[in-house]
Amino acid sequence: MLVDANHLKLTLNGRAILQDVSVHIERGEIYGLLGPNGAGKSTTIAVLLGLYAPDAGDLRLFDQARGHPVELRGRIGVMPERAGFYEWMSASDYLAWYAGFYGGLQQPAADLLRLVGLGDSGKRPVGQFSRGMQQRLALARALVDGPELLILDEPTNGLDPRGRREIHDLLLRLAGERNVGILLCTHLLDDVERLCSRIGIIDGGRTRLEASLQELASAHAAGRRFRLRLERPPADPSSLPSGLTLTSESQGWWQCLVAPDNTAPLPTLWEDLLVGHGWEIAEIHAEGGGLEALYLQLTASSKNEVKEETT
Amino acid sequence: MSATTQIARKERWALLQDQRGLGWLLAFSAVLSAFALLLISNQELSLLDNAQVVYMLAGTVTTAGAVIAVILGADAFAGERERGTLVPLLIAPIRTSELVNGKALGLVSAWGLMYLLSLPYLWAVGAGGQNLVQAILYLVLFGTPVVLGFGYLAMALSVRSGSVLTSLLTSLIVLLFTASPLLLGPGLRNSTIGRALDAVNPFSGALNTYDAVIIDSDPFLAQLPRLTLVLAWLAVTFLAARTTAHRPRFH
Repeated sequence: MLVDANHLKLTLNGRAILQDVSVHIERGEIYGLLGPNGAGKSTTIAVLLGLYAPDAGDLRLFDQARGHPVELRGRIGVMPERAGFYEWMSASDYLAWYAGFYGGLQQPAADLLRLVGLGDSGKRPVGQFSRGMQQRLALARALVDGPELLILDEPTNGLDPRGRREIHDLLLRLAGERNVGILLCTHLLDDVERLCSRIGIIDGGRTRLEASLQELASAHAAGRRFRLRLERPPADPSSLPSGLTLTSESQGWWQCLVAPDNTAPLPTLWEDLLVGHGWEIAEIHAEGGGLEALYLQLTASSKNEVKEETT
Repeated sequence: MSATTQIARKERWALLQDQRGLGWLLAFSAVLSAFALLLISNQELSLLDNAQVVYMLAGTVTTAGAVIAVILGADAFAGERERGTLVPLLIAPIRTSELVNGKALGLVSAWGLMYLLSLPYLWAVGAGGQNLVQAILYLVLFGTPVVLGFGYLAMALSVRSGSVLTSLLTSLIVLLFTASPLLLGPGLRNSTIGRALDAVNPFSGALNTYDAVIIDSDPFLAQLPRLTLVLAWLAVTFLAARTTAHRPRFH
């Protein structure tokens, strides 16, 4: 396991920043770390990087007991939320200079820039880059040493939809082909749903939930509405698995409701509908709920705290 | 290449390529140009003894060097933090000591450049007179620790406060305070307080040595107590920068 952090605690300047944080990331896995502002995400990253030593808890990185922070940082690529470049340096010069901390570039700077979609901008001073280009360069910087673990803080900030999709594809390739473990901190739940296989939700310095998206989909299906598009209308629309109710049909979309007391995993329900009841499902859309509802539910305490502070 | 060398290289690079760095070097040259012109063209100042002129220019180089070292030192951590460029350094595999050493070496480079820039001015005003070589040598020996010391002090405050403005103003106040005995009249400087201040003040130490060597042609051995003082100043400020630079705040 790349990251095996259990029940981390950290107090800074008398304030308990982390109270019980756990993060587990496997090789080749994209892990979404979610939480409201001030929840402890950045501090968790700082602890993983050895910038702060936890007061309590167990932290193992790269399948070994914690080594020297400097050596561990040599195996981790980080893309902080604020890109932070010397604007007078060209992109190529900057990457070559930064790679010096890791023993030099593993591949030519031009290749690295091409990988993140900045192929022809190597000679330009970074000060002339747009925000999106700086985000791409920050990702290239995180990749200078071919890291085993990538930590990305809001990596698609400032990117247009095409750029966002390109970065998504790159991250999926890195995880799938190079077996890189990726810790993704973002507020964009769309990104999480598209990229991550597991998530952790932190609030108030505590891990409120850590699970795979598949587990979540099953565990939190009760009471949710889904729209189904079928290959052809069902022979008997009233024939449904227990736990599923048909509510309406419009323009080829069938809306159904998972019973609030349903305990069956969602995939089982769909399989039952398909195989047992002959519904040939072409598309399934979740309506409302999902990760966003779960996130809001689990981070409700922060919302209340903000309200209390402002009143 | 070690991380220290990498950081020092960037600092040197910034001085010569970044508009800010070039601007400070230009300002340093402008101060020396104006002062040298004044020394040569002003009717009263041009009547000064040649050694006196060289002494005054050496003092100006040290003072202007210290001011620019303070500006660069204050920017070293707090400025990088404000511009968002410190975090990429903190997340790289670099030790705190390497970061501080690299920044400290960057200041050495800056002072080295300022020193080289000052040589033509010293030559221009002092070529025909006595003790020009001594002035050039003692500027290295005494000017270097004083200038770097102020830079390291600003660097330590820069780490501690996290604010360019705070570290800059505090360091400049210390610099003004150490320069204040020189602004006192000879009577006050010869008083007990004036002498006590001179004995512990690195800035006075350097300027009194320039006076003794360039104007009075005193021997090197007579300067040893003051040399000890300026070296102690350098050591204390460098240690302050090293010990203050606990891992700066990540956020």
